[in-house]
Amino acid sequence: MFERLHTPAGMTRRHFMGHLAATSLAVPASQLIYALQARAASPLGRSHKACILLWMGGGPSHMDTWDLKPESEKNGGEFRPIATSAPGIEICEHLPTVAKQMKHLNVLRSLNSREGNHDRGTYVMHTGYTPTPTIVHPSFGSVCSYELGHKAGEDFPLPHFISINGPGEGAGFLGMSHAPFYVQSPTSPISNLRPQGGIAELRLGRRLAMLGAVEDNFRTQNRGQAAADHKAVYQKTVKMMNSQYTRAFMLDDEAKELRDAYGRNSFGQGCLMARRLVEAGVTFVEVQLGGWDNHNDIFETLRNGNLPQLDQGMGTLVEDLSRRGMLDNTLVVWMGEFGRTPRINQNGGRDHWPNGWSVVMGGAGLKGGQAIGSTDKDGVEIVDRELSVQDVIATMAKAMEIDLATQYTTPNGRPFKIVDGGKPVPELI
Amino acid sequence: MPRVRRAGWLAAAVCGWAVWLIPASIARAYQETEAGAPVSSERTASPAPTVSAGSVPQHLDYINEKLDAAWNEAGVKPSPDCTDAEFLRRAYLDLLGRIPNVKETNGFLSNSKDPGRRQKLIENLLAHPDYAKNMGTVFTNVLVGRRPQAQNVDREALATWLRTQFASERPWNEISRELLTATGSNKQNGAVNYALAHFADEKVNLTASSTRVFMGQQLQCTQCHDHPSNDWKQQDFWGINAFFRGTRSRPIETIEASGAVVRDGMEVYDEPTDDWARFEKRNAVVGVVPPTYLDGRRIDAGMDVVRRVELARFMTEPENDQFARAFVNRMWGHLVGRGMVHPVDDFGDHNPPSHPELLDQLAVDFRASNYNVKALIRWITASKAYHVSSRMTKSNDQDEALFSHYPLKPMTPEQLFDSLITATAAHRTEGGGSEKLREQWLRQFVVAFNNDEAGESSNFQGTIPQALMMMNGELMSKAVSGEPGSFLAYVLDQARLQRGMPPVRYAVENLYLASLSRPPTAAELRWASGLFDSNPDTLGVLQDLFWTLLNSNEFILNK
Repeated sequence: MFERLHTPAGMTRRHFMGHLAATSLAVPASQLIYALQARAASPLGRSHKACILLWMGGGPSHMDTWDLKPESEKNGGEFRPIATSAPGIEICEHLPTVAKQMKHLNVLRSLNSREGNHDRGTYVMHTGYTPTPTIVHPSFGSVCSYELGHKAGEDFPLPHFISINGPGEGAGFLGMSHAPFYVQSPTSPISNLRPQGGIAELRLGRRLAMLGAVEDNFRTQNRGQAAADHKAVYQKTVKMMNSQYTRAFMLDDEAKELRDAYGRNSFGQGCLMARRLVEAGVTFVEVQLGGWDNHNDIFETLRNGNLPQLDQGMGTLVEDLSRRGMLDNTLVVWMGEFGRTPRINQNGGRDHWPNGWSVVMGGAGLKGGQAIGSTDKDGVEIVDRELSVQDVIATMAKAMEIDLATQYTTPNGRPFKIVDGGKPVPELI
Repeated sequence: MPRVRRAGWLAAAVCGWAVWLIPASIARAYQETEAGAPVSSERTASPAPTVSAGSVPQHLDYINEKLDAAWNEAGVKPSPDCTDAEFLRRAYLDLLGRIPNVKETNGFLSNSKDPGRRQKLIENLLAHPDYAKNMGTVFTNVLVGRRPQAQNVDREALATWLRTQFASERPWNEISRELLTATGSNKQNGAVNYALAHFADEKVNLTASSTRVFMGQQLQCTQCHDHPSNDWKQQDFWGINAFFRGTRSRPIETIEASGAVVRDGMEVYDEPTDDWARFEKRNAVVGVVPPTYLDGRRIDAGMDVVRRVELARFMTEPENDQFARAFVNRMWGHLVGRGMVHPVDDFGDHNPPSHPELLDQLAVDFRASNYNVKALIRWITASKAYHVSSRMTKSNDQDEALFSHYPLKPMTPEQLFDSLITATAAHRTEGGGSEKLREQWLRQFVVAFNNDEAGESSNFQGTIPQALMMMNGELMSKAVSGEPGSFLAYVLDQARLQRGMPPVRYAVENLYLASLSRPPTAAELRWASGLFDSNPDTLGVLQDLFWTLLNSNEFILNK
C-alpha cells in the first residue's frame, strides 16, 4: 500500500528528494509545480475552476472599505474615497493597491444577511444556511471540494479545501474528507507533516510497511468497510507527506520582492500561499484576516492595521493572478460574517450590522468593475437591489460552474440544495 | 509474565447463550413477584412490563426471540459469538469510554472458565468511577454537541452535573426534567447550560433540540413548513416553542472588594408571560399558537404557571411512551452501534423501526424499572446483539439493520484520547505529566477528530490531519518514546526480569495487549519476532511495533 514511499529501484525518498532539489535549481519551483499539475489534469492547464475566499473575521466595516459615505455627516467617518481602475467606483483611500485592480472586481453593496451574531453570521455566510441543531450544512468550500476536486484527478495529493490562519467552517454531512485542511500559519511548517524527534525517512518507511501488514490483516477479516476506509485515509496522508506538491506550502521558493509585495504578515503570506495552492491544483482556499470586530476606535485601528494588510495582500493577489493568467479560472471573494453599523458609537467604533453591507468578488469569468445595489446617503437603508446570502452563494456557484440545481440527500434522508433559492447576480455573469 | 489465554471459538461455542440465562426458577420468581405478567410475544398497543428495576437477563428471552424472529424472516444467520477479548474491549469503550489496560485485560482473559464472566464484567464496569464520567461525556455531546460553545455556556459544568446524576443513578425521567426546567446560575447548577446553549433565535434551537433529545423526533424542519412525509405541522413546532417563551437569561454580576463589577456566569430564570408563539407560514400569513404539546393538549396560558415545568411534565409523564422509546433507542444505538430507529433521533412514520415490538417492549420495561439507566444497559449488553462478532458471514454481510453482526464503530475523539493514554501512559513521561499539556492534547484530538455528523455512524470519517496527528504528533511521539514513566519503558524493564520467557516475546505480547486488548496470534508473534531478527536495535523495533499497532485500523475501530 505504501509503495509510494519507495521509489523505483530502491531509491530512498531522501535520495529522490535530492534529485528533485537538483531539478528545481534548473526550473523555478512554481513552474515545476505548475508543470506537474498540468500533467495531472489536462494538457491545457487546470481542468476546473478554483476559489480563494478572503475571510474577514469579526465583521468588516463596509462603510470604511467599499462603500464610503463622505456625504453623511453623522456616519461618514474619517476616511476619504479614492478613484479606482473601475470607472465610477470609489473605495477607501487606504486601499490603493486594490483600487488598481478594481476593474477585475465587483462590489455588491446591498447584502442583507440577517444574522448579527458572530457564530451564526459566520455559519450563514459560509454555508448559505442558518444553523439548526440537527444538521450541519457543508460550507461552500466543502461543496466545491466535493463537486470539483475529483476533476484534478484521483492521484492529486493535496486536500481540495485548505483554510489558512483559521480552521474554517466544516464539511457537515459531506464528510470529513471535504473538511478544510487547516494551515495555522503560512510561515510555519504544516503541523505533523514530518515525524517528530528525528525519525528518519527510512525508518518511517519501515513503520509504514509494518502498518500495511497489520492493517491488511484486520481488513481481510471481513468486518466491514471502515477497516478499508481507514487504510485509504492513511494512504492519502502518506501520499501527501511524500508528494513534491507539498512544496506549494513552502513560500521560500518565491522571490523576496514578491513576498514583500504581498505583505510580510500572516494574511499577505496566506494570500501568496493561496495562489501557490491554486496553481498546484487545489480547488478552494480560504485565507482569514481577523481583527475586524471594531467596537472601539475603528479608524485608528483600521488605518494602522487591517487596511494596509488587506490592501497589500488582496491587491497583490489579484494582480499576481491576473499576470499569471490565472484570474480567468480563479474566483476571488472578500467577505466576513456581517458589516458594521453606519452609526459611529460613543467609543468611536461601529457595531454589528447585517442589514445592508458589502461583499466583493471577481475573476473566474465574472465580468468586472461593477457596483451592484446601493444603500442611502447615510448607509442605513438599502435603496437599490437588496441581495440575500443565497444570491451571493448562487453567484459564486455559477462562477465555479457548479450546477445550481445540484441537490444532495442528507444522512437523515432529507433533500438539500447547494443553494436554497437565490439567483446569480445577472450583471456579473 | 502475564498468564493470558485466548478464548477460542470452541469455548465460545460451548458456553453459547445458555450462560446468559439466569436459572429459570429465579426468572419466574422475578416475573411473578415483581411484574406479575409473563413475557408476551404478541404485540399489543401497550405491552405489559416484563420486569422491574435492576434485574438481569430473563429479558434475553424476549429480546433474543425478537432478534431471532427478524433474522429468520430475513433469512440471515447471526455471526458467531465474539471472543472474550473483543467483548472486553467493546464493553470498556462503550461503558468507560476507554480500552482496558493490560492488567484489566489479563484479569478478564484469565477467567475464561467462569460462565458468568461477561455479566460480571458489565456489573464491574457499571460500578466503576469512569462509568459516570463517560456517560457525562457522551450525554454532554448529545445535549450540546462538540462545537465550541458561546462564552456564556459552561460546558464543563454541564458535564460535571451529568456525571453526578449518572453516578447517583438518577432515573432518566428525573434527569430529563431537570435539564428541561433548570434555573439558577450556570456555574452552580450545571443543568442550566443545556438551555443556555440553545437560547438563540427565540429558542428555536431549544425547541428543536428538546424534541430531538428527549422524544427522538426531529421537528426542526417544521419550523418553516409542514413536514413533507408525516403528519407534523408547522404549528406543532411553534406549539412546543411557546413553552419556552418566558425563559430568560441574564449575566450574574458580583462586586469585588475593590468595587469592581465582575461577571460571574449566567442565570436562567422564568418570567410569567401570556405570550403565544408567532410564526410566518409559507404563504406569508402569520400564525399564532399557545403552548401546545404534540398530542394537542394545551396548557392554560395563565401567568401563574411555569411553562417549562408543564412541558417537562408532558414529555416525561409515564403515559408518554415515546419518551421511554426514545431513550431505549438511543442507548441501543450507543451500545449496538445502530438504533432500531436509525438515525437514533429520527422517529416518525417516515422512518419505521427495524424491530417495533422489541422497541416497544423494552420501552415499557424501562418505564417499569423507573427509567433505570443501568438496568437498560444490563439488558442490552446481555442480548445477542451485543455479543455477535463483527466478522460478517456469507449469510449476513448484506444486513445492515438487523444486528446480525456487530458494526465497526470508530472511536470518538474522547475515547481515542483516553485509550491512547491508557495504552501508553504518555502522560507519565517527563514533560507529559502536566495537566496543561494533557488538556492541550485532548483539545487537539477533539478539534482534529471532531465530526458532528459521525454520531453513531459506522463509516470511518478520517482525515489527513487526523492521520498526520496519529503518525507524527507529539502525543504519539511521547507514547512510543520509551521514556521513563511510559508503558513501553515499563514493559522493557519487566521483559528483562522474565524467567522462562524470551524478553522479546514478553514485550511483543504486552504491546498487543496494551493496544489491541488481545495477545498476538501465533502468526503475528512469528511476524513480530522476525522483525527483531533482521534488526539489532531492539528498542527501535519495539517503538516501531507500538507505533504501528496504535496507528492501525484495529486500534481505532471498536469491533
